[in-house]
Amino acid sequence: MAQDSVGFSSDYQFWMQKLSLWDQASTLETQQDTCLHLPRFQEFLRQLYEVLKEMDSNTIVERFPTIGQLLAKTCWNPFILAFDESQKILIWCLCCLINKEPQNSEELKLNSWTRGLLSHILSGFRFDTKEVDLLTQGLGYVPADYCPGLLKNMVLSLVSELRENHLNGFNTQRRMVPEKIRFLSRVCIPLVTLPDMEPLVEALLTCQGHEPQEALWPEFFDAVNEAFLLKKISLPTSAVVCLWLRHLPSLEKATLHLFEKLISSERNFLRSIECFLKDSLLPEAACHPAIFRIVDEMFRYALLETDGAPEVLAAVQGFTRCFVEALEKKNKQLKFTFKTYFPYASPSLVMVLLQHPKDIPQELWHQPLKHISEMLREIVEDQTHGSYGGPFECWFLFIHFGGWADIAAEQLVMSEAEPSEALLWLLAFSCSPHDGSPQRAQIMVEVKAVLSRLKKLLRNPILSAKDLQAAAAESRDRDPGPPLCQQLIRRLLLNFLLWAPGGHVNAREVTALMAPSDEIAHEMTVFLDQTLYRWDHLRMEVPRSRKLARELLAELRMAGTAMQEPGSPRPRDVMMRPFLHGMSDENEP
Amino acid sequence: MESLLQHLERFSELLAVSRTTHVSTWDPTTVRRALQWARYLRHVHRRFGRHVRVRTALERRLRSQWRQKGASGSAPVPGLNFQALGRCDLLLPLRLLENRALGDAAYHYLLQQLFPGPGVPDADEEALQGSLARLARRRSAVHMLRFNGYGENSVFEESVLKTQAELLLERLGEVPKAEAEGPSRFLSTLWDRLPQNNFLKVIAAALLLPPSSPRPQGEELELDTPKTPGEGGQELVRWLLAKSDVMAAFCHDLPVGLLTSVAGRHPEFFRAYLGLLTDWGRHLHYDLQKGTWVGAEPQHVSWEELYGRFQSLCQAPPPLKDEVLTALESCKAQDGDFQVPGLSIWTDLLFALGSGS
Repeated sequence: MAQDSVGFSSDYQFWMQKLSLWDQASTLETQQDTCLHLPRFQEFLRQLYEVLKEMDSNTIVERFPTIGQLLAKTCWNPFILAFDESQKILIWCLCCLINKEPQNSEELKLNSWTRGLLSHILSGFRFDTKEVDLLTQGLGYVPADYCPGLLKNMVLSLVSELRENHLNGFNTQRRMVPEKIRFLSRVCIPLVTLPDMEPLVEALLTCQGHEPQEALWPEFFDAVNEAFLLKKISLPTSAVVCLWLRHLPSLEKATLHLFEKLISSERNFLRSIECFLKDSLLPEAACHPAIFRIVDEMFRYALLETDGAPEVLAAVQGFTRCFVEALEKKNKQLKFTFKTYFPYASPSLVMVLLQHPKDIPQELWHQPLKHISEMLREIVEDQTHGSYGGPFECWFLFIHFGGWADIAAEQLVMSEAEPSEALLWLLAFSCSPHDGSPQRAQIMVEVKAVLSRLKKLLRNPILSAKDLQAAAAESRDRDPGPPLCQQLIRRLLLNFLLWAPGGHVNAREVTALMAPSDEIAHEMTVFLDQTLYRWDHLRMEVPRSRKLARELLAELRMAGTAMQEPGSPRPRDVMMRPFLHGMSDENEP
Repeated sequence: MESLLQHLERFSELLAVSRTTHVSTWDPTTVRRALQWARYLRHVHRRFGRHVRVRTALERRLRSQWRQKGASGSAPVPGLNFQALGRCDLLLPLRLLENRALGDAAYHYLLQQLFPGPGVPDADEEALQGSLARLARRRSAVHMLRFNGYGENSVFEESVLKTQAELLLERLGEVPKAEAEGPSRFLSTLWDRLPQNNFLKVIAAALLLPPSSPRPQGEELELDTPKTPGEGGQELVRWLLAKSDVMAAFCHDLPVGLLTSVAGRHPEFFRAYLGLLTDWGRHLHYDLQKGTWVGAEPQHVSWEELYGRFQSLCQAPPPLKDEVLTALESCKAQDGDFQVPGLSIWTDLLFALGSGS
């Protein structure tokens, strides 16, 4: 407590000095500095109120002899009064100074002085011109009546001036000079969350300057972006796109904000991922290639840092899906070629990957899969294709459209014929982007062996989890291989379980045996959720498999909540955290 | 119903008293009752906003209050209207806060009611606290856009004019037409009472407002206004044309471009304006020594002013230009259709405008 009050006193001194320096924020420097400190100052005001409300006015004056100065300086700084909730908290603070029954002249003076300040903040607005005030009074209006209307008119007038189609009564056009635009953007910083200002904020963001250098203040972009992310402002998509194109740190912050949301959401249902994605406006904004490239780059970092965490993979896929959807909606005839979005990828590969499986009959799915596999293999294993990046680049491109890998796994498990080399390669590649071809060949052999053991089980009328364990067991004894390869085998087993005619298994038994750790249980949850989501998207009529997948999912989730305190982070979140912090630190000035 | 109307009357009086020194006798209980009343009437406004019969009765009673208040003077002073009833729980406290006559105990109580602090369970109180804070924020926004603007202040001046125009039309819409010459009497009273130059500008701004631009009522629910600004504009033109002194001042004092804009929007005004201009032209005679057209008396409009007005009209979109030229041609014909300068002002004007045949 004593520590707290020491901290508060030093804060008090700090802000007292700041306020004296800022004065009425009439110069460029003081305005800039005020804008920079607005949120912190509001926090201080809140603390101040918490301290003041416990005292009567006499104690306040004793404890803080300069409180009058501090509050008065605050009242006369329009930037502070305009910011967020500062004016409200300031009023609360002033209310604490009012003495109910003043006993002496000092107390009377303090009351009168405080009433003056409150009146200054609240009395609405006066035009300060006698003739105008006379008219409004003559019409029977008070400032509170016309203040909103006046603000609306000022905003509209500035907007039309910004849009360069301003016509006044003289039919002359005025164009706003860059200095004025810059000026205006600074004035707007504390005001961006005031709904009346929205048209002006939008106009500022979308106005195309004629100068090569940026006309708006960086702090203005920061303020708008912050307000947008916190949903304190609603802007049309076009304005948000302009914001992100004009101010890179805002785009980075928005992307990190999305990552944080995706990762911290209790359970990664793909449906909620999709909602977060669409809500963020990022997939839509990514139709602009410059934005796409930056967001995509950040996804790449996230994947590298987390060693290909399933949630990040799911997020990349979800993002790509929403992005392609937005692109199709936006223009049937593409404004930019896919080359601008994926500059390092082979254009023909991108075209094949972009095909939607829904548009191809199910019995022909193996054709595009084979095609994709061959093209990837050629690029990855043939060094002459240097221009399309290394194996990792190819893999990163491929996992954007990761639905194809899932289909490949499904096809391998369902087909009774000898497993196709192309499909095996594709799966091996999807789980080991860094390995050379000998290791990949090893994985292919392993997968092939698991598949053949699984096929023997196919005739079993009733499958038990033990049988499945046994099928995978042989590979367990040897070197377990890269984690992604083990993951692949688990996926194959799950796929088999979902598709095999005898797959009427006891869900609890399966999860108990197949998911020995939280980590694997979580991985299985993501996989099942993804599978169900994909089936919905492809409109696949597989009632039996769907039912089983749902049961397994429910079982896993139940086990998950039983094992875990609600709200406690999953291991993966802990893994992601340093990454997120690292990224946001970079953005700090 | 009658008791509701009586409540309304009492409240209207209360609102009037809240501005006077009479509030020095108020104690916390009085303040509490006054605030309760304001809140009650706001509920009335919500409830009967769409109930035409009740609303009409309430409006009639409110207007009769204006008349009583104005009885001592010559004309009614507008007071509380139905829309303001929706904001009365904001208007009353604002008046009280500003009134230095209110005693300290009552003021202290008022603040406690208005600003209960964070985490208020009562939604009404929270909303009121929020509205007051928002008002302060908007006021600050206006201040910042005005004084921190870049050098010139034309945005502010224009917006002030437009806002005044909107207020004028709103009030005009409330004055009942049925009552003997309601709107025009109301306007004449304002004309006699207010600084005329500003009033003329406001009239012009009102005539230029788009046909329907309802004034924002902030967060209050928007209720259908009884009349549209378009109708208010018609009333305004009618009054302007009926008052020849106002019309003359209007056409004489306002900037040329503004007059042309108004003429472009209101055909009746345009015809009267054209008539006035030709009238003014007839007052000029040719000074042979100076070689120009001059007024017979100092208050007469000069050639330059007259020419400027015609020129501006001729630069306006088609109907205006054609009608102006037709009118000038016909005046020229009446004068004798001279082709040489210095004989008929119309010949010279047409020539100066580039249409001399």
